[in-house]
Amino acid sequence: MVRRWFTGRTIIPLLFLAPAIIALLIFVYLPVVENFYYSLFRWSAIDPTLRFVGLENYRRLLSDPIVLRSVINNVLYAVISVAFQVYLALVLAAILESGVISRRLAAFFRSALFLPSVLAITVIGVTWKLMYSPEIGVINQVLRAIGLGSLARPWLGLENTAIYAIIGVSQWQWTGYMMILFIVAIQAIPRELFESATIDGANRIQQFFHITVPSVRETTLVNLAVTVIGAFKVFDIVWVMTGGGPNHASEVLGNYMYRVGFRNDEMGYASAVAALIFVITFILTFIQLRIGRTGKEA
Amino acid sequence: MSSIRERAREPLSEKTTRVLVIVLFSILVVIAIYPIIWLVINSFKSNVELFTNSMGLPKTLRWANYERAWRFGIARYMVNSVVVTAATTFLVALLSTMAAYALSRFRFRGQGVLLYIVLGGLMLAPEVSLIPLFRILVVLRIYNTYFAMILPIMAFGIPFTTFLIRAYMLGLPKDFEEAAVIDGANALGIFRHVIVPLSRPIIASAALLQAMHVWNEFMFSLTFIESDRLKTLPIGIMAFSSTLDTNWPVVIAGLVMTAVPMIVLFLLTQRAFIRGLTAGGVKG
Repeated sequence: MVRRWFTGRTIIPLLFLAPAIIALLIFVYLPVVENFYYSLFRWSAIDPTLRFVGLENYRRLLSDPIVLRSVINNVLYAVISVAFQVYLALVLAAILESGVISRRLAAFFRSALFLPSVLAITVIGVTWKLMYSPEIGVINQVLRAIGLGSLARPWLGLENTAIYAIIGVSQWQWTGYMMILFIVAIQAIPRELFESATIDGANRIQQFFHITVPSVRETTLVNLAVTVIGAFKVFDIVWVMTGGGPNHASEVLGNYMYRVGFRNDEMGYASAVAALIFVITFILTFIQLRIGRTGKEA
Repeated sequence: MSSIRERAREPLSEKTTRVLVIVLFSILVVIAIYPIIWLVINSFKSNVELFTNSMGLPKTLRWANYERAWRFGIARYMVNSVVVTAATTFLVALLSTMAAYALSRFRFRGQGVLLYIVLGGLMLAPEVSLIPLFRILVVLRIYNTYFAMILPIMAFGIPFTTFLIRAYMLGLPKDFEEAAVIDGANALGIFRHVIVPLSRPIIASAALLQAMHVWNEFMFSLTFIESDRLKTLPIGIMAFSSTLDTNWPVVIAGLVMTAVPMIVLFLLTQRAFIRGLTAGGVKG
């Protein structure tokens, strides 16, 4: 009798779902679909009359050197982020969980390294602009103090260092956060595995490669996907720190889309750039879901 | 005492490892924390002190910098941030809890499709919707109002929050609900008096993550708000640094005031926070 009460009345669960579904359709799905439509037109925010141009915006996209520069920077962003936020974060998590140091000390290190990720991007961006600054910046002062004065430079002002300076800040912000995700995965590994390995004479490094790494495989894959997808969506940190400059050297797709749309007011072309972001992140997410599924089966 | 004796008996390499690990992590902690400490120290200096000695301690604590930052706009941005964060977090938690209830405690036709619609939102980057959203908000006549931030941020928060809460609700036993049905409770009564109280830990964790996300949200707030009087802290602080003629210590005091609420919130709620993170594994 109870069961029938739960299965029979469809209207009740629909009423509970309706607000969320309506919000999603209006503010998430409709805009994504519209974005593709708008990318076929030339229009601006000042004069929102749509003038159909077909695939013109996409043709421009493919031959735009700044788009190419952006994609290269996004790829750089992804590669460096994977090294720090996946592999380094995993190693750091394993060290903290290995029992080499006391639990209280490990807990302190964990929280302290996590802290940068709770700060607003503007706080982080402005702080690091000051850190990199030629006049008052701590980075250059430290380099001079340790005898590496020749390396001191206006990091954000040079075409060949700006993007790396920004990517570095992202690693500062997120590595501790990703480390926590690995710590939780490591804590779920049965202790006996490590105990019997110790009895068998395996040292910590062997235990890391033969027990920890295979056991946290699923978390590694998820973190890998989240990091790579995040690298192709990045916008705010670049906008705050350099705006994509100097001379587009630190441009990424998100930043370029924003500049084209809301500064140059070429909304149609900006929609085409957004469509490119969609295609890239969609493919990556699809791969993530496939990997996630096989990860569960394995 | 005994621990010292134990350590003395350990092989030397074990001790060396421990020292190396502590040194390594201490360096990392300094790198992670120093910029924050640097901010706090420099927020008390004069502009001249900052430019002549940015790494030293201030000669006197200039609380006036905070007072000035507060009067020059931080107070208003803070109010806006609190309003937007509170409203958005409440709405996301409410809508997601309701959706999670429907998607976990019922079986009905069309459920699979609706589940895909909700969770599918996880795959969509807010960047892609930015330009059309701008038009939609203009058409709805809510561009440049609180709602221009609240509604889009809310919608993009629903999929992940629903995902977290639904996973938790799927694990709740059926017994309580069945007893309540026998007692004559309807679906709304069960939701309010049985399911929500039982799910409180995960709702709290999810709301906490959401609140932190909204407090720090940048892109929508930058794009959909024009008036300075409606700006939230992360956006206001950018305008702030240009209007103050680069009186940097005052700007820095503003940055500290933006950062402190989230640092305090995190330190006070670490456990609930980490529970939410690890149930989902999504960032930013």
